[in-house]
Amino acid sequence: MKKRFFIYALVLPAFLVSCRKDKTIFSQSPDQRINQVLTAYQDSLVNSRYGWRGFIFPKALNGGVVSFYFAFNNTNRVQMFSDFDSTSAVTKLESSYRLKALQQPVLIFDTYCYVSVLADPDGSVNGGTYGNGLGSDFQFSIDTVTADTIKLTGSQHNTRAYLVKAAKQDSIDFYSQQYSNRNFDKWPEYLTYFKRVTVGSTTYEVQVNRATRMVTITWIDGNGVTHKMVTGYYYTATGVRFTVPIVDGSQTLTGFDNVTWNALTLTSTVSVNGTVYPVNGAARPLSPDAGAPNRWWGYPQALGNAGGWASVKGFHSNGVDDAFGVQAIGNYYYLAYQPQYQLTSGVYDLLFFYLVVNNQLTINYAPAFQPPTIYSDGRTNFSILGLLGNIPSADSVAVMKSALQLGETNGYYFVQQDSTSYDMVGAKDGKTWISWFYH
Amino acid sequence: MNHFLTYYNETMLDTHSPADAKVIPITTCAYRRGAFEACHDKFYGPSSPAATFLTRILRRLGLLKKHRGKLPFLLLLCSMVSCKKGDNLGDLNNIPGLGGDSSATTAIDQWIDDTLTVPYNVTAKYRWDQNELDLNKDLTPPMESKLIPVLSAVKKVWIDTYVAEAGSNFMKTLIPKFFILVGSASWNTDGTITLGSAEGGHQIILYVLNNFYTKDMPGYVPADSTNIIQMFHTIEHEFGHILHQTVLYPTDYKTITVGLYTANWNNVSDAQAHQDGFVTAYARSAPDEDFVEMIATMLTLGKDGFDKLVNSISPGASVDGISQAQAISNLRQKQQIVVDYFKNTWSIDFYSLQTRVRSAMVSLIQ
Repeated sequence: MKKRFFIYALVLPAFLVSCRKDKTIFSQSPDQRINQVLTAYQDSLVNSRYGWRGFIFPKALNGGVVSFYFAFNNTNRVQMFSDFDSTSAVTKLESSYRLKALQQPVLIFDTYCYVSVLADPDGSVNGGTYGNGLGSDFQFSIDTVTADTIKLTGSQHNTRAYLVKAAKQDSIDFYSQQYSNRNFDKWPEYLTYFKRVTVGSTTYEVQVNRATRMVTITWIDGNGVTHKMVTGYYYTATGVRFTVPIVDGSQTLTGFDNVTWNALTLTSTVSVNGTVYPVNGAARPLSPDAGAPNRWWGYPQALGNAGGWASVKGFHSNGVDDAFGVQAIGNYYYLAYQPQYQLTSGVYDLLFFYLVVNNQLTINYAPAFQPPTIYSDGRTNFSILGLLGNIPSADSVAVMKSALQLGETNGYYFVQQDSTSYDMVGAKDGKTWISWFYH
Repeated sequence: MNHFLTYYNETMLDTHSPADAKVIPITTCAYRRGAFEACHDKFYGPSSPAATFLTRILRRLGLLKKHRGKLPFLLLLCSMVSCKKGDNLGDLNNIPGLGGDSSATTAIDQWIDDTLTVPYNVTAKYRWDQNELDLNKDLTPPMESKLIPVLSAVKKVWIDTYVAEAGSNFMKTLIPKFFILVGSASWNTDGTITLGSAEGGHQIILYVLNNFYTKDMPGYVPADSTNIIQMFHTIEHEFGHILHQTVLYPTDYKTITVGLYTANWNNVSDAQAHQDGFVTAYARSAPDEDFVEMIATMLTLGKDGFDKLVNSISPGASVDGISQAQAISNLRQKQQIVVDYFKNTWSIDFYSLQTRVRSAMVSLIQ
């Protein structure tokens, strides 16, 4: 009896174990299924008759996009164009790619190409940081495949990317080097900071950030409500297209076509839905950000004045960068506005001119200002209080011109770029501005 | 015994091909007569030794099936069999990625095969494979246009010169078999960049291929010669490691500048390192690095270049209190140990090798 109990005790687990087994969910082995999927992906890449449009959103661009054209063949070769710069947009490059089964099927652009340019850790190649580049990927897991779109996710940085089946015209335009229209890049050359285009009854203010490849579009609707939208843009054969269309009631802006540039008048025209509109410079913002001056002034103080608002190039005026030549100051490093700086003689707003002397950051002189006067419309006035320290005569022109410009009586509007950078635009005519970054 | 084996084989081969084998849950078969036959279905081929073994036992036990008392034991055996599960392993010859990645062969692949693989059993991996590299780093693959220029320069400056001095068997024995080529530099968090690394005498990773220009390539500017010198410095450096990991250099070497090795080598300029009797700043990191930095610097700069370096040590004591004479003497002692090591260990005339390497490099940059 005892023996029998022992035997049943042994056999019982066998039944329990056996319940779990031998359920064949798939009719084929994992390897067969992986091979099938890889073959299917390969086929869909190769079989798109006119190739693919690619859109990659590098992490460092925060929503900005770089667009591509790809034509894959079945011997691991891919031809491509990229709108990253004006050369790559018209220069065909052939490199290699392969599909590989990792944890997910991945598409790897496995030799250097326009895709890897964005990921190059040499910041001088792509304007990114040294060591990380733009934080982009060239190895992507294939997330979803639909009839005309493949959604990809970067393996290292989770870079978003999409492949969209190209139309015949896309292919023709790229290969015949039609993607050479970069007039949109000239917009920073407008003498005024603000640019407006009126389509129908609505005026849109367009602000371009070339570094992040984003545009900010501001408009006031029929009810007087201000709208602001930030979207990435990519280049088309004649202009630019927004990654997210601007929808304003019944009117939709998908981008600007036929962008022209007049190098004499420094103005541009665009066409929207087939109609040509001028892009006009403006002296003031469409809808000034009334809270920006206080945010800007209070930011360093909230952080205990550990840093200030710095600018390397000083003022831009009438189309000239560094209009007062601050970069020519001996040992110049950067200038910085420091609100409410405590000195033994009192508390001042100071315009520091940082110099590098004996390998150390040094301040020898600083124009002092009263706390700015901020008006309800967001305009801000600075007024000079005096000068601390002695300026070498060779540098006095650049320093004093900058100080006088800052104290210009019409004041400034503030345009916030992100939490640690603001542009300050002269309210007199909108042709003078300075870009501050927190440092 | 043989009888049962034969029976088993015949049965399996005739009636149970792997493709149509059925899966029968043990709970069913356990209460049926002829349980063993049902369980046979779980074996998918006569070739499996485990299956053969168990079948033998089952067959043997089958003879005893009159003995009802054994049934629970037999069921137990079935349950053991059931643990093996009946998953079809599929076509084992077609596992994706098994045996490495494959891509359609290009002219570059053919060139690598002809130039490096056939004569030296060396291959170069240039198509991106993250698994070969540091997962935390942002790196890029190399440009295809750089591959043949880089590899032929490597052959000319490094392989051919060693072969000329030490014979091809020397090189075939010690050469690292696996080159991994990377387009960008490898950036470290402390602001330095890594130009190359080696693992166990087996593989060398070369970075910064995309900045490789020789004088014959369009876009070459004289400043690019620095990249070439750095690249061969890296290769000679890593190959130096292979040499001393095979046969260690005399330990006297470690005592020449003892006490001056530091992990903070990157805070020291090369010129400061010279003042202390080190050939480069990196040589200060450890004696092994010091030794191979000596090899690499002497080979890539040539005799004149190295003498110029030694003579550039300025009068006066260094920050660490090493005098000019002491620094020069340190470097010359290290030089002598390197030269003797090459002579005694590898029967290589170092100065002759140095001349060959330098002139091969000069042909690329001047």
